[in-house]
Amino acid sequence: MKLKKLIALTLTCAISTQAFAHSRWILPTHFNLSAENGEWIMVDITASNETFNVDKAMGADLVKIMTPDGKTSRPSSTFKGHRKSVADYFLKESGTYKITNNSNAAYMTTYEIDGDRKRLSANKADRGGKLPKNAKAVQTSYRYSRVESYVTMNTPSNNFKTDGKLLELVPVTHPSDIAENEKVTFAFLFNGKAQKNVSVEITADGVRYRNDPKTLKLLSDAKGEITFTPQHAGRYLLVAEHEENTPKSALADKQMGSVFLTFEAQLN
Amino acid sequence: MKLKTLGLTLFFLTFINFTVVANPNSSTPTTLNIELTLKQQLGEYHPPYVASWIENSQGKPVRTLLLWREQAKWLKDIRRWWRKVGKKDAELVDGITSATRITGKYPLSFLAENDEKASLKKGKYTLFIEVVRENGGRAIIRQPFSLNGEKSTFTLAATNETDEIKFSVTP
Repeated sequence: MKLKKLIALTLTCAISTQAFAHSRWILPTHFNLSAENGEWIMVDITASNETFNVDKAMGADLVKIMTPDGKTSRPSSTFKGHRKSVADYFLKESGTYKITNNSNAAYMTTYEIDGDRKRLSANKADRGGKLPKNAKAVQTSYRYSRVESYVTMNTPSNNFKTDGKLLELVPVTHPSDIAENEKVTFAFLFNGKAQKNVSVEITADGVRYRNDPKTLKLLSDAKGEITFTPQHAGRYLLVAEHEENTPKSALADKQMGSVFLTFEAQLN
Repeated sequence: MKLKTLGLTLFFLTFINFTVVANPNSSTPTTLNIELTLKQQLGEYHPPYVASWIENSQGKPVRTLLLWREQAKWLKDIRRWWRKVGKKDAELVDGITSATRITGKYPLSFLAENDEKASLKKGKYTLFIEVVRENGGRAIIRQPFSLNGEKSTFTLAATNETDEIKFSVTP
């Protein structure tokens, strides 16, 4: 019985893995800080499948910081190199900061031509004039990616406001409480509602230096939650994806949401 | 005359209250004795940041016994204590802070009370000692113990940052 379940789960995971796109992530210098008069942090911003080695720079133009008092702030300065961008930010008040580098929501049409897969920036309504005549397997998706991390200075706060747009991760375990060998629970929402069967992959830092990436693959339960136990202290990248067909939409065949969360499991 | 009586009554009331608060079960509270040792180190030496505290059987911190530290910015490096206690309670941190100590032996004595100075209930607890040193290492010592009216003594094995530590629970 148990084995059956395990096989079923493994199969589901194997299938869902194909959906995972190029990873994007941000990596703050610190996740937890103690300070009397504030502290500086810096954040790396990159698109890379290697956790946590940088690969291709993503711009820092969309980087936002949600401060503990609920305001939206911007980095004090940024730099874009070839492999990564960096952002500088001063934490002034105590509490939990949410740092994001979310993409702009966009329509994307994919199709095949002579066996090649191509992409087009168009929605379902205006794709007609832009597609080549012999395009096959045409599909338009509405996509939104969240690239995020939490940094806490002194007393944590629940800076977990949601906006109801496609896929969202809501920490149940506070990010500043995550520690090795202790259970962690996160919840997922899709368009504001608890979402089951969200595909989640969690990978520990340092994949360059081990043969097996040891990625943990999970699906959210009926409450939209995943629970796992980090085996080691260190930094982790969580990649979550979910898509739904939207047959009633005039603009897209499906909606796709993804979340890239960087977090730290502390020494216990 | 009346004022004098009032004063006298107040004096006695204060005295009685004091007795009641300090000794709720008219028995002496249990004493926790720790002979803390900070190991002799070679080379560059910065006195370590040290925290010692008690967690109950659910892993909830009930009492911070000591905090030896300098700058606030390094408090986070006392990882478990900061995560469980320090970050959540700035007042407590200020209240118990004292300066760092160098290598040596430090006999310490505490009453088995919680942070609010109420006697800890009978039951199972864990003593934690966490030692973190700049350019050195981190050590965390865990010693389960019981408050059950009986005396117990423990020898806590040496770590990279501490020599053997004697710990006793004396009702």
